[in-house]
Amino acid sequence: MADPSATESSVVTGRRALRWRPFHLTAALRKRILRGLIVVVAFVAFVGGLTAAFGINILQYTLYGFRTSAIVIVAAIGLTLIYGIRGFANFAYGDLMTLGAYVALFVNVNAQLSIVWGAITSFFVLVLVGILLEILIFSRLEGRGPVAPIVASVGVGLIIQNGIYVVAEAQPRLFLVSLGQEVTIVPGLGFSWLRDGLTLAVGFSFMLFIHALLTYTNLGKAMRATADNLELAKATGIDTKRVTYATWALSCGFASTAGVLLGLISDVQPLRGVTSLLLIFAAVIVGGIGSAYGAMLGGLVVGLSQEMVVPLLVWLGRPEVLGIPHADAYNVAVPFLILILVLLFRPSGIAGRQTAIVPRGVVTGAIARARAARRTRLAASGAGRRGG
Amino acid sequence: MIGTAIDTGILTNVAYFASFAIVYSVLAIGFNLQWGYTGLFNAGIGGFFLIGAYTAAIITTPYDPPTVLGGVVIVPGHWGGLSLPFVVGAILAMVFSGLAAALIAIPTLRLRADYLAIATLAFAEIIRRVTINFDTFTGGTNGITRIPRLASFEPPDPFASGMVLLGVGAVVLLAVFLFMNFTVESPWGRILRAIREDEVATMALGKNTLLSKIQSFALGGAIMGLAGALFIETKPYLDPQDFSPALATFPIWVMVIVGGAANNRGVIVGAFLIYGMEYVSVLLKDYVPSNTIYYVRLMIIGALLIILIIYRPQGLLPERRRVLK
Amino acid sequence: MAILEVQDVEKSFGGIRAVDRCSLTVEPQSITGLIGPNGAGKSTLFNIIAGLYRPDGGEIRFANQRIDGLPPYTMVQLGLTKTWQIPHELKKLTVLENLVLAAKGHHGDRLTNLFLRPLAVREDEKRFRKQAQNVLAMTQLGPLAQEEAASLSGGQKKLLELARALMTEPALVLLDEPVAGVNPILASSLMDLIEQLRQQGRTFFLIEHDMNVVMKRCDTVIVMHQGRKIAQGPPEAVRKDPVVIDSYLGG
Repeated sequence: MADPSATESSVVTGRRALRWRPFHLTAALRKRILRGLIVVVAFVAFVGGLTAAFGINILQYTLYGFRTSAIVIVAAIGLTLIYGIRGFANFAYGDLMTLGAYVALFVNVNAQLSIVWGAITSFFVLVLVGILLEILIFSRLEGRGPVAPIVASVGVGLIIQNGIYVVAEAQPRLFLVSLGQEVTIVPGLGFSWLRDGLTLAVGFSFMLFIHALLTYTNLGKAMRATADNLELAKATGIDTKRVTYATWALSCGFASTAGVLLGLISDVQPLRGVTSLLLIFAAVIVGGIGSAYGAMLGGLVVGLSQEMVVPLLVWLGRPEVLGIPHADAYNVAVPFLILILVLLFRPSGIAGRQTAIVPRGVVTGAIARARAARRTRLAASGAGRRGG
Repeated sequence: MIGTAIDTGILTNVAYFASFAIVYSVLAIGFNLQWGYTGLFNAGIGGFFLIGAYTAAIITTPYDPPTVLGGVVIVPGHWGGLSLPFVVGAILAMVFSGLAAALIAIPTLRLRADYLAIATLAFAEIIRRVTINFDTFTGGTNGITRIPRLASFEPPDPFASGMVLLGVGAVVLLAVFLFMNFTVESPWGRILRAIREDEVATMALGKNTLLSKIQSFALGGAIMGLAGALFIETKPYLDPQDFSPALATFPIWVMVIVGGAANNRGVIVGAFLIYGMEYVSVLLKDYVPSNTIYYVRLMIIGALLIILIIYRPQGLLPERRRVLK
Repeated sequence: MAILEVQDVEKSFGGIRAVDRCSLTVEPQSITGLIGPNGAGKSTLFNIIAGLYRPDGGEIRFANQRIDGLPPYTMVQLGLTKTWQIPHELKKLTVLENLVLAAKGHHGDRLTNLFLRPLAVREDEKRFRKQAQNVLAMTQLGPLAQEEAASLSGGQKKLLELARALMTEPALVLLDEPVAGVNPILASSLMDLIEQLRQQGRTFFLIEHDMNVVMKRCDTVIVMHQGRKIAQGPPEAVRKDPVVIDSYLGG
């Protein structure tokens, strides 16, 4: 996703004004839209075929799949943004989601306010948490490689999770919301305005929001430039510290929203977020680290596959087929399998660019860095081309 | 955890505490081989621990059929029925854990550190959930019960049993410790340390680094399996929860970071320190609600991880310098 | 018959062609120099020959055997060793350990041998430590044997690179700037050593920027520019070659 406009001087911070780029229907864009349409049609045909063969059940699980995808997408966007900029996998992300749910729960149940206020409060509390984490912990681990921040994030996760256990009950809790109408579209296919509609709506609007942010605002361009190449971004005058704080804020804010949504469709308990952690990692890796759009695709793939595989598993688990007990519970293995496959065959994911393998020569990395450094020097000094 | 163990007598308690600490020391030594000496960041320690423990349990425990009432299984029971002696269980535990480690290693060791962490974490979690779900095999959340003790006394004497366990554990720990020292000082171990320093340079010097890494990972996994076999003797029944990352993986990280990576003596010190906390928390059980102590202990582990990794990642006791004459 | 044949090798990184259909040969028992401006692709070519990169196209033959695409550790077994331009010393190991590690065919390298053939392991360890001491003496690093490699000076680290390469008993050594950063007296005795080893049958293919070294010590000089060979021949001829002067030897 190289974006030449990222190096324009207009990206220098100071102004976070919204600037609108004219919308061109280029040939490349047309090709992408066409490809997207083909995928959509193929998917509809696929689901239609399955439904005809196996019943309305399939549609219900497809709906669940989209719903799960929405939540995973919101979470994965948050995770992938910080992964791209700080270069590490945030193992505390699931617990941050849980924290978000609990803050919202507190506002909703204890302060007797609407869940909307709960979600908003939760968002801002988590924004603060994210910035604090960067200031206190992760800024000190810069340049130490990928393992040190992982270890620290595990520590953060442990503190959050067990802190919740100490402060709140371990019992699963429910938000105080009017459940809204449960609509039956067809017998066997139910649609809940609260659980399904709200989740899909929130998921979709967050996707739009991040797209707008990344494409049209200076901050978004700065974020993309920084994730792309930290040194170059610094050299072109981007305040990478600010960008990092903004990314942490977004990341944790999104985590809180995902946590609240998760609490709405199921319940709020201390381990809720952690059980989704691997799922979200899978989405991030499938989609490519650092790419919000990849996170959307990855979330879709992972969410749909986890839900839609359940009918198949149930059938497989029947005594006359394979006779495995609790076969439906194995659906969580599907994203894991996808993750492993992606790691084996295409570690950079759908849209990402960072290499996953220790390159055959660490020299490749050194050359890439040297080239980047040279580009930085040239960009900074405006010098002509010298031998390199 | 210790609360479920025998409650009588301070010495018995200490014996059991020490046995737990020994189990975790062995786990930590296995992890130290993978991470401290070879630089492979294993976030799925719990998985290999689990495979070893359940293998040993199934090998040594008699079969327990499911309890069915009116066509519904209310207690799943578990496999077993081989009722073989502990040694066989331990050896097979090592074999299966080592094999699992080798299988996991082959596709994942070429990945960079954070991907390896995610992949191994995923492996451990899946194994744990399969264990819970496949309950007719493993007993699910009820676990495996009636694990035969190393030595049974008539009438049952918890103190003597505790002493036997401690003795066996100490012997195992010593053996593992000596074995580890021998291996890392060897030419093969030198290759591992070289890989940790600079893998590409080591490749360029003619070493098949991928093979060495797989071997290191597998050997570390086998040692973790041995820890699992020991573990089953310390508890009345196996609970999959004991193999979750928070209980089986992250504390090991702390032990190795505290004690010093690539320093087996330090790692054992670290294990006893961390386990000392557990023991203290059990002692405080009468004054503070036990649940809170349990959670606070995990929070302390979390805080330790953060503080250590920022300020003293090399650990309290750094790697000893080797002198080749 | 050439000991090393590079035929139409190509390698691109992203959009940049680092090596662009490069062909050259190296004669056995020669000291062959590889020169060219920065960015000509010399180090990249060395990395490809040593197996650290897979070429996008072309063939490489060592002692008449195709080696392109083989993993790096097999090269050393075959008798081809490369040193690094920026030294890749194993920092926390001692100088002696750095060398003994490089020894070829150590029984102790195999995990199974540690337990099945402990005596052979011990024999090899003794033998290779002695050999390492000899190599250290040859490269004037003897007194530093027990020092951590990280504590060496820049020039000493370069010597360590050469010493490690020699431990592998190579038929062909690819030296990437072997005397850069080494003081002139030491550099001279190093090149003397290389000459000596050449007499004993080894071949040296070296990248150098120091023209004195190249002109005085190399039998053959190959010039690379923009990823391909533009000249090959005795130093004097190359120096006078107008193509070379145009592109490289501006002064």
